[in-house]
Amino acid sequence: MDKAVEFKNIVAQYTEIAAEDMTDEMRFREDLGFSSLDFMSFLGELEDTFDVELEQEDALEVRTLGEALEMLDRLTEE
Amino acid sequence: MMRTIGELLDHALESYADLPAVRWLKKKEVLERSYRELGEDISAVRNGLAEEGFHRDHIALIGTSSVEWVTAYFAVTTGENVAVPLDAGLPAEDLLELLNRAHAKALFLSPKNKSLAEQVRVSCPGIQKIWLLSEEKDADLETIEAVKAAGAGKANLFHGRPEDTATIIYTSGTTGKNKGVMLTQENIAQNVESVQYEKEPGCVMMSVLPVHHAFCLVMDWMKGFSLGAVVCINDSFMHMVRNMGIFKPEVMLMVPLMIEMIHKRLSAADPAIPKNILAEKVFGGNLKIIFTGGAHLDPYYIDQLAEYGVDVLEGYGMSECSPVISSNMPDHHKKGSIGRPVPNAEVRIENGEIQVRGSSVMKGYLDMPKETEETLKDGWLHTGDKGYLDEDGFLFINGRVKNLIILSNGENISPEEIENRLALDPLVGEVVITGENNGLTARIYPDQDLVQIKHLSGDAVRAGLQDVIDGFNKSQPSYRQITGLVVRKNPFIRNATGKIKRTEAEVDG
Repeated sequence: MDKAVEFKNIVAQYTEIAAEDMTDEMRFREDLGFSSLDFMSFLGELEDTFDVELEQEDALEVRTLGEALEMLDRLTEE
Repeated sequence: MMRTIGELLDHALESYADLPAVRWLKKKEVLERSYRELGEDISAVRNGLAEEGFHRDHIALIGTSSVEWVTAYFAVTTGENVAVPLDAGLPAEDLLELLNRAHAKALFLSPKNKSLAEQVRVSCPGIQKIWLLSEEKDADLETIEAVKAAGAGKANLFHGRPEDTATIIYTSGTTGKNKGVMLTQENIAQNVESVQYEKEPGCVMMSVLPVHHAFCLVMDWMKGFSLGAVVCINDSFMHMVRNMGIFKPEVMLMVPLMIEMIHKRLSAADPAIPKNILAEKVFGGNLKIIFTGGAHLDPYYIDQLAEYGVDVLEGYGMSECSPVISSNMPDHHKKGSIGRPVPNAEVRIENGEIQVRGSSVMKGYLDMPKETEETLKDGWLHTGDKGYLDEDGFLFINGRVKNLIILSNGENISPEEIENRLALDPLVGEVVITGENNGLTARIYPDQDLVQIKHLSGDAVRAGLQDVIDGFNKSQPSYRQITGLVVRKNPFIRNATGKIKRTEAEVDG
């Protein structure tokens, strides 16, 4: 499956917004209604799904879908 | 009857010596320590503290949950010293202030927070020693191993007395200043005994709550040890679901936000997957009971999780009561209630407010005689929560008297504390912080003089206020960040004495 699609399917588990309506500018907390714990759990799922290890402090700086995808791209390239 | 934490621990060490007490993850490997091994470490650190000259002193801990953290905490509280666990997620300046206000003489610091050590040396003259919570050597700082070595092989020391303060737990205050709740040895030991939950030794628990919280310290760790349970440490909330699969807990303590998050994941799964298979995938396969407290849980989730074979039992408490006041139990529960009061908590309702008396009610707030007197008026703990008891003795809660906001992750937020910070900006005329959904919202009436002088448009005002909030958020842990902004058209409604009516903060015009 395409990485971005798989990524959005994970996001969709935590929000009412459908994967196809998501845009890169959307913010996790303000626009998608993630709680702080939803976001942490979401990060853990990214690790498991894409087999990467996130630095919690850096990952918590991420605000938008676009930023999260960029972070994921960086990590999967390494 | 247990009256000190030392007695509780001794009982566990004698009864369950060869059983595992703690499991944790190092990278991806599961490590464990038996009650005997843990007991030896605790005893060595306890004696080591005395050897280093600490007697009846306040000893702070900063860090997230780890076997070293727990060893240090029990070493302090089973001896004669007083443990002050602090929230490692707080900004450095707040931690330094709390260390000073708590009169801490020594500090156990987790390796992740090591950068704080230098600031502590400069700003906290009372701190004589800093030890890293690490079993590996460190180039710059002494570690808990040095304390252990100093105390190894020494005769076991006397335990604290029932009336001695065992721990000081900081909680948000309505005056905007954190209050140090002083809990005695007896307060805590009696709370552990009064929560009459039985489970066979060897049962597996997984601790996911922040370790500096009274609910986690007393119910995950002390209650867990008193049952002979294996307490497994969740290394990060990021990995909670993965770790449930690894440790396969039978019982867990959670705050409602965790339950809501898990429910979101369960309901997002493919409906074709049978519920028992899904439950195994998400909960690890053995989870039967979740005790929850700290904030209100919508009863909807109780029915939802029951479909996956998990009973959610809601309780009620506060740090000031060590912490459990009431809880639903496997054999007596009522949905929507917060359970029956525990046997050592006498509960009365005065003018609608829940008030508590008993052996788990705190000694008072450190260095705050006025606040202590107000909260413990007439010998009863004034909880600030409104509620009632039904004909079967179950307690129900229906609103808060105090201004504290309890987020559904269980964190207490004092709105005044945040409002005072935001009000420092000239653009902020009036501000009220409210708790909505899972986050905080700032409701701000801009300063009209400034708006007129600078001819600011509506958009410019909003952008300016958002900058103020972003600036505030940068210095805060994620649970204290403001996620919503409402720019008001009108000033807030005030009462006869000129105070803003918080209950009508959402009314504009």
